[in-house]
Amino acid sequence: MSDAWTDEELLAELRQALKARQAVPPGFVEAAKGALAWRTIDAELAQLTYDSLAATEAAPVTRSEPASIRALTFTSPRLTIELEVAGDSLLGQVVPPQAATIRLQPQDGPEAVIAADQIGCFVIQPAPRGPFRLRCQTDASVDVLTGWITL
Amino acid sequence: MRDDPVVIALVDRAAAGDEGAWNEIVDRYAPLVWSICTRYQLGYEEAHDVGQTVWLLLVEKIGGLREPAALPGWLATTTQRECFRVLRVERRHEHTELPPEDQMPPDPDATMIEEQVLAAERGAVFRAAFDTLPSGCRALLSLLASDPPPGYAEISAALGVAVGSIGPMRARCLDRLRRSPQVASLADNTAGIAGARQTRSEGA
Repeated sequence: MSDAWTDEELLAELRQALKARQAVPPGFVEAAKGALAWRTIDAELAQLTYDSLAATEAAPVTRSEPASIRALTFTSPRLTIELEVAGDSLLGQVVPPQAATIRLQPQDGPEAVIAADQIGCFVIQPAPRGPFRLRCQTDASVDVLTGWITL
Repeated sequence: MRDDPVVIALVDRAAAGDEGAWNEIVDRYAPLVWSICTRYQLGYEEAHDVGQTVWLLLVEKIGGLREPAALPGWLATTTQRECFRVLRVERRHEHTELPPEDQMPPDPDATMIEEQVLAAERGAVFRAAFDTLPSGCRALLSLLASDPPPGYAEISAALGVAVGSIGPMRARCLDRLRRSPQVASLADNTAGIAGARQTRSEGA
């Protein structure tokens, strides 16, 4: 077998390549390009350290499996944010427990401000449908931004 | 192909906030992300949701990618994970019966994803090479690559060239494509051609 592409192979590859490009809706590409505007340079980022989905992601979706509750943990050097979906709400807790201001930043909507109580608990209702992130500011001037979340 | 210096340079520039480089990454790999969503039979809204999450995660991670050349693989596995998430959420929100097993989306295995990544990388390389060809060649080759390809008489009418010159033009344009730096770099790497031949012989 030769190491050079034959004319027919080139055309077949090109056919696949151009077809794959045509198949992508323009809106899909435009939205992807806009994502760069969300680049953050100097915020303290909290990394996703636990995702209940990750534990089961390797397993195929089967009918017998019970619907799982989504739980997420974001960790930064100074604080941790625990999240859990409960029905239509998103419950959160700041650890170590303390009062904080939570800013919900949806990717396609205005920011909303939610207060976390003295033990760091907060409720976001309804739970955001699209991609969002949370910024958590405590009285001790800790300022942390989570990675993007889609529930 | 995995250590494609073009991809490494694009990732470095995009990580520094270069919009042109970011857009080029998107143009190259949006078909990969889209094709995986299609493979999981997601509708447009769901695929859009998956796409947004994947690209936002990439914006977050791009500065820390340990191996920029592994970008296509990262995109593929992240897209796959997000597709799983959407399928699970759907099940939680709609209390409907799931379709019978034989109508469930196929369980993708690692081999399928790997093949899809390699095919998508080849696709990106061919599109990049195609885009650098002169407009005459692009017009002729896109006609010849359409499915099914039109006859020479139709091509002659569409492009305003004599039927007799189409054959030589075809050979010349394909040769430009073959000798383009992008495609040449694939041919150097036998995995490029061998992989393409294997994929086709399997009827994929």
